[in-house]
Amino acid sequence: MDRRRFFALSAFAVVGLTLAPALQPAFGATKLEEEVQKRLGVQLSQIKEVEDIKLTAPTIAESGANVPITVESTIPVDRVERLWIFVDKNPVPWIADVSFTPMNGQVFFSTRIKMGETSNVRAILKLKDGSYVMATREVKVTAGGCG
Amino acid sequence: MAVGTGILRVPREAKKGEVVRVQMVITHPMTPPRKDPQTGQEVPAYSLTKLELFFNDKPVSTVSMGAGVSANPFMAFTLRAEESGVVKIVYEDNKGGKWERTAEIRVS
Repeated sequence: MDRRRFFALSAFAVVGLTLAPALQPAFGATKLEEEVQKRLGVQLSQIKEVEDIKLTAPTIAESGANVPITVESTIPVDRVERLWIFVDKNPVPWIADVSFTPMNGQVFFSTRIKMGETSNVRAILKLKDGSYVMATREVKVTAGGCG
Repeated sequence: MAVGTGILRVPREAKKGEVVRVQMVITHPMTPPRKDPQTGQEVPAYSLTKLELFFNDKPVSTVSMGAGVSANPFMAFTLRAEESGVVKIVYEDNKGGKWERTAEIRVS
């Protein structure tokens, strides 16, 4: 191999290596989409975001091991059946799900979760009429909490 | 503290129809399944799986959870107090542990 061909080839290899990771997400569904499909039975893209769910979470988490989140909604509790909480980039995106009854008085749930890296937190509500609504918030994590 | 110890907190008194907050903290490691870095052996998960909230033995809320919930989980709910009664929380983990805590609310 002469000098000229060697340079041409190595340039080609470098371009290839840089592009490869960027291309990857195009294959199949992401882990989050699979998990939502499995647990809820609907596509994530079909769930619309609404204003009347309030998802409270810190903008920047001090530690990914302990991120406080609160879900509140002005939707009357007798119209709500269930709540799911997901974190997009966790190894297991599903965190918890909560069922509600009219005895709760209002839609409210608060807990602390683990986050591996900076990503979106989602709260998805299933209403009694079978529709799904969602609220999303991004939380920045500087120190991961999943190991 | 021993695994499974829980503290349940509710207001002692409430007005009829008031929406009160029920808060709970449980001592539990909540570890996900993982490979031990030294030995390479699989370590199974150890976490709470289910938590149920009852008021006067009527089911109110059920939480299913995985290891994505922080160690020593904190949970808060709301409850509409229509009558005096006992708030009971029953929780279990994936290794067969099962515990319960109760607290009383007096409604005037």
